[in-house]
Amino acid sequence: MTITTQPAVRFGLRLLRGPTGAVLIMAATFVLAALTFFAINGRESISLFQEMVMGAFGDGYSFSETLVKTAPILLTALAVALPARLGLISVGGEGQLYLGALFGTGAVLAAVDQPGWLLMPLMLMGAMAGGALWGVIPGLLKTRLGVNETISTLLLNYVGVLLVSFVVHGPWKNPNSLGWPATIEFPQGAILPQFFDTRVHMGLIFGVVAAIMLHILVTRSRWGLGLQVSRSNPRVGATAGISYERNVLIVMAIGGLLAGLAGIAEASVIQNRLQDGLASGYGMTGFLVAWLAGQHFLRIIPLSVLMGGLLASADSLQLYAQLPKASADILQALLFIIVLAVASLWPNRPKA
Amino acid sequence: MEIQLYNITKRFGEVTANDGISLDIREGEVIALLGENGAGKSTLMKMLFGLYTPDEGSILVNGRETLIDSPQKAMSLGIGMVFQQFNLVPALSVLDNLLLAYPRPPFWTFRRLFGEGASQQNVLAYLEELAPGLDPNTLVRDLSVGQRQLLELVKVLNLNAKVLILDEPTSVLPPQEAERLWGLIRKMAEAGRSIVLITHKMQDVMACAHRVVVMRAGKMVQALTRENCSEASLVSLMMGDSSQRSDIDTHRDPDLAGKPPRISLRGLHANHGVQSIDNISLDIGPGEILGIAGVSGNGQHLLADALVGLVPLSRGEVIIDGVVLQSASRAPKTSDRVAYIPEQPAVNAVAGDLSLTVNVALSHFRQLRFFPAWGPEEEKTRDIIRRYQVRPDNPALGAGQLSGGNLQKLVVGRELEGPRDLIVAAYPTMGLDAGAAHDIYQALFTKAREGAAVLWISEDLDDLMSYAHRIAVLQGGRISGLFNPDQFDRLDIGRAMTGEHLPTADPAPAEPQARIAS
Repeated sequence: MTITTQPAVRFGLRLLRGPTGAVLIMAATFVLAALTFFAINGRESISLFQEMVMGAFGDGYSFSETLVKTAPILLTALAVALPARLGLISVGGEGQLYLGALFGTGAVLAAVDQPGWLLMPLMLMGAMAGGALWGVIPGLLKTRLGVNETISTLLLNYVGVLLVSFVVHGPWKNPNSLGWPATIEFPQGAILPQFFDTRVHMGLIFGVVAAIMLHILVTRSRWGLGLQVSRSNPRVGATAGISYERNVLIVMAIGGLLAGLAGIAEASVIQNRLQDGLASGYGMTGFLVAWLAGQHFLRIIPLSVLMGGLLASADSLQLYAQLPKASADILQALLFIIVLAVASLWPNRPKA
Repeated sequence: MEIQLYNITKRFGEVTANDGISLDIREGEVIALLGENGAGKSTLMKMLFGLYTPDEGSILVNGRETLIDSPQKAMSLGIGMVFQQFNLVPALSVLDNLLLAYPRPPFWTFRRLFGEGASQQNVLAYLEELAPGLDPNTLVRDLSVGQRQLLELVKVLNLNAKVLILDEPTSVLPPQEAERLWGLIRKMAEAGRSIVLITHKMQDVMACAHRVVVMRAGKMVQALTRENCSEASLVSLMMGDSSQRSDIDTHRDPDLAGKPPRISLRGLHANHGVQSIDNISLDIGPGEILGIAGVSGNGQHLLADALVGLVPLSRGEVIIDGVVLQSASRAPKTSDRVAYIPEQPAVNAVAGDLSLTVNVALSHFRQLRFFPAWGPEEEKTRDIIRRYQVRPDNPALGAGQLSGGNLQKLVVGRELEGPRDLIVAAYPTMGLDAGAAHDIYQALFTKAREGAAVLWISEDLDDLMSYAHRIAVLQGGRISGLFNPDQFDRLDIGRAMTGEHLPTADPAPAEPQARIAS
């Protein structure tokens, strides 16, 4: 009697051949790669890895810091995944995030004397408008002029980052900041609500709610069906009365709007002001997460938490092992490559 | 060179494409392989050309049994084939295309440095013979279909072919160019070559064949010499006793015939890409099947797209029952009352990775609720699958998993569901076998009798002449002729297709002044 005839073993093997197996192999490969990376750097691999996990999820404080980093990753990942459902490859999360921060801050500065009940909605609407604008521009370029959206979103990232840099060095610079390039501190009415005395803020709630809503809309609604048809065959979509052009603008606008919310949350809660280096690459991390999740809105949520943990633990790597902060980027890149490589080897691969 | 096919059988799954076929090909002789689409003519010849290998039977070349397992092998034996689909590079010149197809093409031609090379003389010899006036530096994309076909022929001749297989060579040619080709075929036979002409057209047979081999449903029905056959006898041999053509009822309901037109096209102009249509004015009555003939690429697709609302008009308007449907003064829009059955449904009519149910629901996408209820949609799909005998019959399958014929049946079922004012069918049976084509015509014309107007674009003049109530010819984006059944004449229509004369039958339309319903 061979071992495979036992029902439990057979069930296990069948599970391994499916997506579950793929995920297990991905995780194992990643742990192995991370351990190797630490060993190459001459560190105690296992204990360092433990430290990393603890640094991300070990106690209430570290988990809250993980969630703080989760929020912008989640929102920018959604900003990538939604256009991807129409077959668009947007890498513009970063620029949309900056534009959201820029417009949101603009609203705060313009209405700085208003009470919180007015200031807060104005700030959020400004942020959404800014992000949406940075999504609609590549959308219009694509539908009107046929410009590749990947290139235009990529380039607009630089424009967005530098626009923020310009205002904080120039017109919006706080005169009392002793030359430090930043705006004035946000008034209390413009600080997003936080939870349990931590830095975890409303942005996370926005992200989770948006992910669930998008999932329902895209998989169940007529509009979502239109996206699927347009993606599969735009000509047939047009015959059925589905406008590919309009859908491009809609998904780019909604995506940009979400990334814009991430931007204003960072400025309002984390920095309390608009300044350079606002987002430290969250837009790009969001892009990776969206692709790791196979553009699946619900899968994006746990993956964003994991990635947030990875970034949060980078701080503990610095403290405990004196590894440079770039280690987190290296681990992130390793994870991405491993997931894509394993997924492509798997027979019934999870869609990525 | 003599070739004998002996007792050849070829099966594809459960379908027997060729069933015990024996055939002699003799030197200096033109053989016409005559049969409907799907009769197995091309399959047989593809075995001779090494694209398929027979399941049973053998091929004898000069009396010796020979295994032809690749086109290279066939060409080395002196067997060449010209396909329906041209295999040319449009962006390159005639000369470059010929050089590319030459055995062991020169790696580096140095054409511009050293002028005419010796190899070019070889390559161009047949071209000068077949098409004396053609400049070898012309780009292929600037050639007419007929010239391209000659080029394909030259490519095969350059390979020293003794046996030439031509697959439906006249199907893309206007009658005048077809006549020229017949002359060439006769000349090549006189020069000692053997020619196998795959065709379903009587004219080809009568014009140049020495012998006719009639095939039907994978079997050889009869071999005759041309002297011993008449067109009528060939037709009955080809179609079998129950000619499928005759059992489609295309009669117009006489009550409908007297009614005013349902659809009026008034001076349509549109441009899209390289195609344009120019001042198209037509009326189609209720229940009328208006055929649009023409060599492909003369604006047919643009006309269909403009009617359906995929492409904007630059002038003119489309009026349905007195209401403006499309007009140059506003953005084009699609309508649920207009059915569209394009060719190649996999590309033009369905989203391949979505289910059959979703694809059926597309025809009434606007009426779906915001969160669609899929139960009734699936029921509707099952109903269409049942009535149109779509296989496989699982509505959850991806549309891309169906064959072209089954997919087109599904599309026809979808498009003819519910009330329709206008049915636009653009080459709806292209690439389908006779059985599927028959079902599709039947469904289409049955729907027409309910009162819809049908605009039917085809490049098969025989089909058009047997089914359409009127034929309009499109040439260079204009209507170059409008024919009533008593005027149906191959040559007249052919002349209109080539633009030889522009009849004045179609007067310039009055300035459009339609009532725009609110």
